[in-house]
Amino acid sequence: MPSNEVVQGLGLDDYKFGFVTDSEPVFKTRPGLDAEVVRQISARKDEPEWMLKRRLKALRIYDAKPMPQWGGDLSELEETLSRTYFYSKPQEQMERSWDDVPENIKQTFERLGIPEAERKILAGVGAQYDSEMVYHSLKEEWESKGVIFDSIEDGLKNHPELFRRHFGTVIPAADNKFAALNSAVWSGGSFVYIPPGVQLETPLQAYFRVNQERLGQFERTLIIAGEGSRAHYIEGCTAPVYSTDSFHSGVIEIVVNRDARFRYTTIQNWSNNMYNLVTQRALVHQGANMEWLDGNLGSKLTMKYPSCYLMGEGAHGEILSIAYAGDGQHQDTGGKVIHVAPRTTSSIVSKSISKGTGRSSYRGLCKVYDGAAHARSNVECDALLINETSRTDTFPYIEIDEKSATVGHEATVSKVGDEQLFYLMSRGMDEAEAMALIVRGFIEPIAKELPLEYAVELNRLIELEMEGSVG
Amino acid sequence: MTQAAAVREQARPTIGPDAVIESGAGDPAWLKARRDEAWGVYEATPLPSTRSEEWRYTDVARLLPLDGLVPAAGGAMAGAPLPDGLRRAMAQDRESAGRIVDVDGRVVSVELDEELAAQGVVLSSLREAARAGVAEVEGLLATEAVPASDGKFAALNAALWSDGVFLHVPRGVQVDRTVRLSRWVSRAGTATFTRILIVAEEMSRLSFVDEILSPDFDSVALASTAVELFSRGGAQVQYVSLQRMGEGGFHLANQRTLAERDSTLDTLNVALGASVGRVDLNARLLGPGANSDMLGLYFGDAGQHFDFNTSQDHVAPNAHSDLLYKGALDGAARGVFRGIIRVHDGAQGTDAYQTNRNLILSDEAVATSLPNLEIEADDVRCSHGATVGQLDAEALFYLMSRGLRREQAERLVVLGFLGEVLSRLPLGGVAEKVAQAIEAKLRHV
Repeated sequence: MPSNEVVQGLGLDDYKFGFVTDSEPVFKTRPGLDAEVVRQISARKDEPEWMLKRRLKALRIYDAKPMPQWGGDLSELEETLSRTYFYSKPQEQMERSWDDVPENIKQTFERLGIPEAERKILAGVGAQYDSEMVYHSLKEEWESKGVIFDSIEDGLKNHPELFRRHFGTVIPAADNKFAALNSAVWSGGSFVYIPPGVQLETPLQAYFRVNQERLGQFERTLIIAGEGSRAHYIEGCTAPVYSTDSFHSGVIEIVVNRDARFRYTTIQNWSNNMYNLVTQRALVHQGANMEWLDGNLGSKLTMKYPSCYLMGEGAHGEILSIAYAGDGQHQDTGGKVIHVAPRTTSSIVSKSISKGTGRSSYRGLCKVYDGAAHARSNVECDALLINETSRTDTFPYIEIDEKSATVGHEATVSKVGDEQLFYLMSRGMDEAEAMALIVRGFIEPIAKELPLEYAVELNRLIELEMEGSVG
Repeated sequence: MTQAAAVREQARPTIGPDAVIESGAGDPAWLKARRDEAWGVYEATPLPSTRSEEWRYTDVARLLPLDGLVPAAGGAMAGAPLPDGLRRAMAQDRESAGRIVDVDGRVVSVELDEELAAQGVVLSSLREAARAGVAEVEGLLATEAVPASDGKFAALNAALWSDGVFLHVPRGVQVDRTVRLSRWVSRAGTATFTRILIVAEEMSRLSFVDEILSPDFDSVALASTAVELFSRGGAQVQYVSLQRMGEGGFHLANQRTLAERDSTLDTLNVALGASVGRVDLNARLLGPGANSDMLGLYFGDAGQHFDFNTSQDHVAPNAHSDLLYKGALDGAARGVFRGIIRVHDGAQGTDAYQTNRNLILSDEAVATSLPNLEIEADDVRCSHGATVGQLDAEALFYLMSRGLRREQAERLVVLGFLGEVLSRLPLGGVAEKVAQAIEAKLRHV
């Protein structure tokens, strides 16, 4: 893998979110991780005893589990983690109004366009800066209908029973090494509750910003969608470009109750010095519908496989995944659908683009348990390779224990065709424009599912990354 | 089995260093050394566990009691009649250009068309060819294709093989009719280690059918086969493995095909019998214009377990490979397909395809499919597909509306589904034989 200097030399200057904000944390733990660091985090948050116990138990699980030997290259991660700050508190308390957020932090989010988007299209916004949510707000209209949209810490404080009933039930600490790590040191993230029957018309958004060098961000989100409710949650992430590697490991737990519909969108655009190892899972109950829209554009290495556990009859899960691997990047992404109940249906559509020395891997699982009668699932993967040095892999797992299930998987890999390029250039486009147009056409089926602002953003990013890619 | 043969069998050592010495008795020094080295690799390599990706769905430690097995080394009396089951299978075959018969790991007869022999074609017991000092055998046996370093079972075979086939077709010679190997395993508790080494020189042509049979056993009988296939520039080779062992059979095959420039090297693996069947097939496309069609067909019932682990290595540019494995699973059978296409750096212009389709016919049957791609070149066309489904209700309905009973209609649909594979490799009588075997199995359903 090329050094960061090399990566930067290859056009990363186009990464428009790479700026650093000058801000001093009010508290941070020393680098590295042990039980003392975990106790400090818990104490800072003034947590009940049971949560501290859980954190410490999770730390033991984390220490006992070996580093994964599959997926991306994690050989340097241990070294990275040994000098990572696991907790950094940017300000004393979370604010409900942008006016109260410290000026320099507010400016950061203004440059990212968050307050403006909130005014225009969002029902609520949460903003995390390093380890804590600095801002959280929900439009009154929704608050009065009983919607809860809070930082995860406030969720624990203000709704202890609801919180404890669900926390760690979708993704237990022992699920995987990084889920264990998150369970030990989690900080920040959202707590969302949509009451039965409430239909949110505009999305909720959480924005994650890592500002400090060598910081680990471990947000934890718990979402409960009540019966027949409907909502859309968007997550965005960026960070400055540093010469040392940073680390992000989130855990997202979602419970989609009977007949509810929930959509979770991620536009991950970390800088290229970020390890991004995330566990996202939804339990989907009878007649409910869960959609993951997963856009992975940034990071050095992402390993992330959003999953739908289809627990109730007629539940539906959908995963739309787009990965863009530029120079030096490895996007190891995909999705998992687990059919437990009869007449459950699912679909995974994955599109990836690899450019330069980038590598994109689709890794997925479709599992149909005995008894999930008439389950249907379809998986489609398309990979586009831009350069001779680009690489792509497809690793689907299909495990079917049920006779009446119908499952299909298709994947294709292709190169941008000379003929397509020639045609567009004969119409007066230059090569870069033509290439960008072809790539946009390739990702269009996914981009059109995004809210307008995000689709525009995605297209712009692709265009930026495409500059100078032909030759 | 005669009394004397039984006594001989009892006196033979189980799998272990003594068995290596006994297998190598009478071998030239180079071969003894190769066996010893292979045994070293075997001992140094842990038994694959279900933690390893390639053995995730086949728990070999549980299914195969390796330690108690006695390596087979023939034992049939010279001139004794062949076992009935073997004779019946041979009687079904069409005309052959040559045939080798192997009983319990020892070749008992070799026939080859005289005209072909006059053209320089060599068909021989592998053991005899090795002892006679044939240069190709020393050069190519367990070196380039299936060396001991491939893994635990490749090493075991290289240490303990008792016999097999050496087939050499000189430059430009066309062998129009099929060459056959007919194998029989007669005893439970034995492990048979066989090797097949086939070299098709430039612009030559041959087709080879390797059929293995056994009666039903009440305990395990292991049949391990290492298959090494070389097609030199412009040669055309077809290899078919027809596995029809009885219950208790554990069939383990390590196959590698090395296709050079503009050559064609096609394979068909048919698995109908045995309790457990595991095939590791690696196709290497070594020269531009090389082509490999890789076909597979499996039909499992009762508690049968089939596991296919295939890989397509595109090393050279502008080569083509196309894989189609289809399986039907009834009873409590389990089918596993794990395939990977690897397009190596610089293999521009690669066309590589991979398809696995499964039919599940019963509540307890399980199908697992893992079609993987790893691509390091950009100017390629690759695709893979996998499906798992049940019998097409519309096709059944149509046939039943024409007066067929449900079972008849089901049989026809299954045959049609699997028949697609056979129609892609029309080779002297294989399709008919397989179709008959499938029909016989379907009648039990």
